[in-house]
Amino acid sequence: MRKEAGESLKNRWFMIYTICFSALALLVLMFSTMGGDIAGFSGFGRTAASIINLVLLFIPLIAVITGGLSISQERENGTLPYLLSHPIDKNEVFLGKFLGLLITIWFSILLGFGIAGAGVAIMGNQGEISGYLITVLLSVMLAAIFLSIGFLVSVYSRKASKAIGISVFLWLFFIILGDLGIMGTTVVMDLGIKQVFILALLNPAEVFKIASVLVLSPRFDILGPVGVYAVRTFGQQGVFYLLFSVMILWALIPLSYAYLAFTRFRKEEI
Amino acid sequence: MINVIGVTKRFKNVLAVDAVSLSITKGESVALLGANGAGKSTLIKCILGLLDYEGIIEIQSLNIKENPKFSKSLIGYVPQEPLFYDMKTVDILRFFGSIRNADNNRINYLLDMVGLNDHKNKLSSELSGGMRQRLSFAIGLLSDPLILILDEPTSNLDAAGREDFLNLVKHSKECGKTVLFSSHRLDEVYFLADRVLFMKSGRVVLDAKPENLASLLGIKVKINLRIPQGSISNAISILDKEGIKSVNRNGSGLYLEVDEAQRMIPFEKLMQSGVPIDDFSIHESSMETVVNHIESNEY
Repeated sequence: MRKEAGESLKNRWFMIYTICFSALALLVLMFSTMGGDIAGFSGFGRTAASIINLVLLFIPLIAVITGGLSISQERENGTLPYLLSHPIDKNEVFLGKFLGLLITIWFSILLGFGIAGAGVAIMGNQGEISGYLITVLLSVMLAAIFLSIGFLVSVYSRKASKAIGISVFLWLFFIILGDLGIMGTTVVMDLGIKQVFILALLNPAEVFKIASVLVLSPRFDILGPVGVYAVRTFGQQGVFYLLFSVMILWALIPLSYAYLAFTRFRKEEI
Repeated sequence: MINVIGVTKRFKNVLAVDAVSLSITKGESVALLGANGAGKSTLIKCILGLLDYEGIIEIQSLNIKENPKFSKSLIGYVPQEPLFYDMKTVDILRFFGSIRNADNNRINYLLDMVGLNDHKNKLSSELSGGMRQRLSFAIGLLSDPLILILDEPTSNLDAAGREDFLNLVKHSKECGKTVLFSSHRLDEVYFLADRVLFMKSGRVVLDAKPENLASLLGIKVKINLRIPQGSISNAISILDKEGIKSVNRNGSGLYLEVDEAQRMIPFEKLMQSGVPIDDFSIHESSMETVVNHIESNEY
């Protein structure tokens, strides 16, 4: 785990990613604090809301590609069998890699949010710091989800190039095509509000978006009829807990599947 | 030390290792020979626990399937082509040292031993082939294992790198390590091995001492002797009396083939009879000759 985290932190792509994320967070901070109160957001709330869009583009992409390369690249390079010729088992390799990479991505996210948060505080803006912190929590959860999905891709990919291709497709599918898919399915199948809400839960990016907006906005009607339905059915706190639980499941299910597949693979498939 | 009992390994329809049984005792150095695809690397990977197989493999009387981590801790492995993370040499040793419970003193000792102390801050990608192989050897020795397994370790090295590397292995052997190595070079076998196992089509078909290999296989040593023109007929009759029949005139001398054990006889007899030898050359049998001989004969 230490090797994975240390190697990743020294990796130039991670450094570029961290610098970009921090720089963009700062830009967002500057723009969002220039105007007045927008849609009920102020200070931290407005910054966090702006960062959500950044987070939704950046974090899943980096996490899913990092996860996708984690095992496939070592398998393709031949370093995986060499590593396993030492007194270490596949459980340790898998968990060490996952935790090492997760810590690295979390470090980048916390740095970006930290810089933005410190900027807001220095500028004297006050607002919902708790909302900001929960957004940070949701963001690290989003990273864990897409890293898990990436690991699942990696375990089943013999080539790193194939893993990257599938990872980018999944990112595109969940982040870009997800909204369109829900809208299209709703129109074509004439779905009710309940079904649309369930459909949204099937996309982790959508779950993150709903949970973040719910945390930042006291006006849940901003989420539209589906949001109103969800809040009326489960209560504002209840919806948040439901969404957060779904996010945990989204992180655990692909990870568990990847873990079982990797540790139970026949050895020649390593 | 290593017991392989009826080990079979199949890759779909290909039988890579066919009911192999062998035993290697403590401190023994065993060479695994054979043509490409004979099953040497597959057998090594089975012993390392990197492949599933049928049968039993024991290291120090413990079944490696039941004690995989402990078994692997007793083995230092040097692959044909060392593959490292792109880290500094010393960091690679620290990383594998953390897996093998080796402290900094051990790491520094090994860096000195393999001559990489001056290169410890270089990235692995900046090391030459010979240095990378020595690094791989140092990694293999991190936990001071009882057994060293080397899979064609010198195949990518130049002459100087090969010599350095073989001396390191020889030193470990003299320190009491059990060594199992595969090779494509007969000189390495003569230099390192106490015993030779020859694999053919996934089976061990020959188990011999290196010094007996050539005579067991009936392989001849080829000798060129430069003898003055006037002494050639005399030399032929002397050698004929000694039963050395395959003698041919060869320009300014003789060309003959003798059994490995008989290689000194022509020299002794000709010198005793006063036949002058102006020059000579000896052509040892190559691994190719050995492999071809075994491949084309039933064993």
